[in-house]
Amino acid sequence: MFKIAAKDLKLFFADKRGMVLTFAVPIALITLFAFAFGGVGSSNEPDPLKLVIADLDKTETSKQLIAKLDSLEEFVVINATSDSAENLVIKGKKPAALFVLKGTGDSIRAGLMPAFELKYDQGQGPEVGILEGALIANLNKISGELLMNTMSTKMPPDSMMQFMPKQSNASNGVTIRETPLVKEKESPVGLIHAVAGTAIMMLLFSVTGMGSAMLEEKQEGTLKKLMMAPINPSSILFGKMISVNVISILQLIIMFIYGWMMFGLDILGHLPATFIMIVCTAFACSAFGVFLVSIAKSKAQVQGLSTLIILTMSAIGGSMIPSFTMPAFMQKLSIFSVNYWGIQGFYDVYWRELTLTDATFLTRVTVLIGIGLLLNFIAVLLFRRNVIALT
Amino acid sequence: MINVTDLRKSYGNHIALHGISFSIQQGEFYGLLGPNGAGKSTTIGIMSMLIAPDSGSISIHNHDILHHPVQCKQTIGVVPQEIALYNELSAVDNLLFWGGLYNVEKTTLKKRIDTTLQLFGLSDRANDKVKTYSGGMKRRINIAAALLHDPKVLFMDEPTVGIDPQSRNLIFEVVQKLHSEGMTIVYTTHYMEEAERFCDRIGIIDNGKIVAQGSLHELKSMGGNQEAVIITGNGISEAKAEKMRNAGFKVTTYENQLTFLSHNLKGDLSRIVLMCSEHGIDINDISIKHVNLETVFLSLTGKQLRD
Repeated sequence: MFKIAAKDLKLFFADKRGMVLTFAVPIALITLFAFAFGGVGSSNEPDPLKLVIADLDKTETSKQLIAKLDSLEEFVVINATSDSAENLVIKGKKPAALFVLKGTGDSIRAGLMPAFELKYDQGQGPEVGILEGALIANLNKISGELLMNTMSTKMPPDSMMQFMPKQSNASNGVTIRETPLVKEKESPVGLIHAVAGTAIMMLLFSVTGMGSAMLEEKQEGTLKKLMMAPINPSSILFGKMISVNVISILQLIIMFIYGWMMFGLDILGHLPATFIMIVCTAFACSAFGVFLVSIAKSKAQVQGLSTLIILTMSAIGGSMIPSFTMPAFMQKLSIFSVNYWGIQGFYDVYWRELTLTDATFLTRVTVLIGIGLLLNFIAVLLFRRNVIALT
Repeated sequence: MINVTDLRKSYGNHIALHGISFSIQQGEFYGLLGPNGAGKSTTIGIMSMLIAPDSGSISIHNHDILHHPVQCKQTIGVVPQEIALYNELSAVDNLLFWGGLYNVEKTTLKKRIDTTLQLFGLSDRANDKVKTYSGGMKRRINIAAALLHDPKVLFMDEPTVGIDPQSRNLIFEVVQKLHSEGMTIVYTTHYMEEAERFCDRIGIIDNGKIVAQGSLHELKSMGGNQEAVIITGNGISEAKAEKMRNAGFKVTTYENQLTFLSHNLKGDLSRIVLMCSEHGIDINDISIKHVNLETVFLSLTGKQLRD
């Protein structure tokens, strides 16, 4: 019994790759998930919130108000025009934008607390809530200060003291009118996330499996035999790419049809955009699978690498939880993930309902195609060296 | 028809081929005989354009394989040592795929598949998945896949390794039939019986060199028509064999066997037995092999084919 155990342990410790998979990969993933979900890595102080502000009032008072907001540690102010502020929200680049309404300066000068408008994306509820909470407290404080300053310059202190209690508006605080720019759709954001996020993550796993069939061919000798046939060696890889792409497209189509039939995902209302996104996502994911196979030298290596890379990309790319709920630095990393571009593209289709010619949507599509082309190109280069050379 | 000239190939520091040369005539059955690791598969690999040579040239039907690989591939059929089939596909689907790679017209291909399956005695299992086949049946399909484009030359790399006698005999029958129909066959093996039985000419390869080539008759002459005395017993060692070599005997060891080569068996036999006794070898069995490829190989290389 102990001899068998000792032999198994000896074999285990002799297998360096197995050891890496057993110890290093889980450690790497724990670290990653801790950063993604647990807020580890950031200081105890929360990151400043990026606050898009459109100043419609354009008075000295409104400028002072915005400058005071910008001076606070809680906010980093991004000044925008009305249109660009709305666009940032509509395109999903920012969860909300604060509009300093016309007449804000007049209100303050009249001793009244001003009213603001917060235009937001309903799909980013948690972030909007955090932003709004921070805004109410600070706008009340800043508006109150400005109001007091104005009053103090206008009247003597005694008169001001008599005046202040009469301002019922001031004691109530500022008013923030909420206007959803991106409203709840037939397909709720959670459903879009569940279908797109899961579909892309699972597709990455299955394309890796399909791609590693190439290494199986190598191990079983059929690749050698293919190389002996009167065909160009590159056509072996291109043939594999075609089959992986076709199966990937089919897999995504079936997943989205399931999402439509079971949960009412609105694919019928967005058929052309859905199809474009499916084809582009399948292309990028398939290229990832073929690329992974071209850098690995055995099926076991593919399995180890794919587990690590796919879980990492899925975590940072928003397949597991929406990327906007992650810490800011994780959100920055998310652009390096195929998942991110795919999921955001599907958000564009079902949630933001962007048109096919919209620049944001076209950017997602272009990036996905670019990822596919780049990874396929590298795979072709590596294929001869790592796969064919080993036959 | 096939000219191999000064073919060289190295893998790192290991030299697999030291500049081998040979020619094969149309319709000839040429055997490459040698022990494992001698360079047979590397030679076939280069001839079938799977492995790039370091230097040297090969022409098939006056086409240089390096300059006209596609034309050359179209004229050859290759039976690799490994069984290279898709286990999840049926025999017919496998053959349709492999034949299709050579651009055989579909109706012609289907006819050839029927004929070939009949030839190999597998018509009744044609639509079964290959994974349900025995090893011997898979080997037969492996050969069938190389014949569908009607090649002029067939390269067979140890096609009978590890199969049952029934399948082996069937493969022998097919190989003989193809040869009688005029197909040029290049056959590697380390079974001397197969080489003796089929080959018009044989190249003996060892350590990446062709040590001799010719017809069976010519090779036997080259080996000096020596016979072999094989002593099986206890106490055999390389050190003792070395002492016997110093005493003028041509002797090799393999496991618990000593093999002596002799021109004069009657005269040498008693001396061999006496010397074994003097070296403390406890003889269990003595057998005598008359001149064959194995004794020729032994006399040319000092090694046995199974080494």
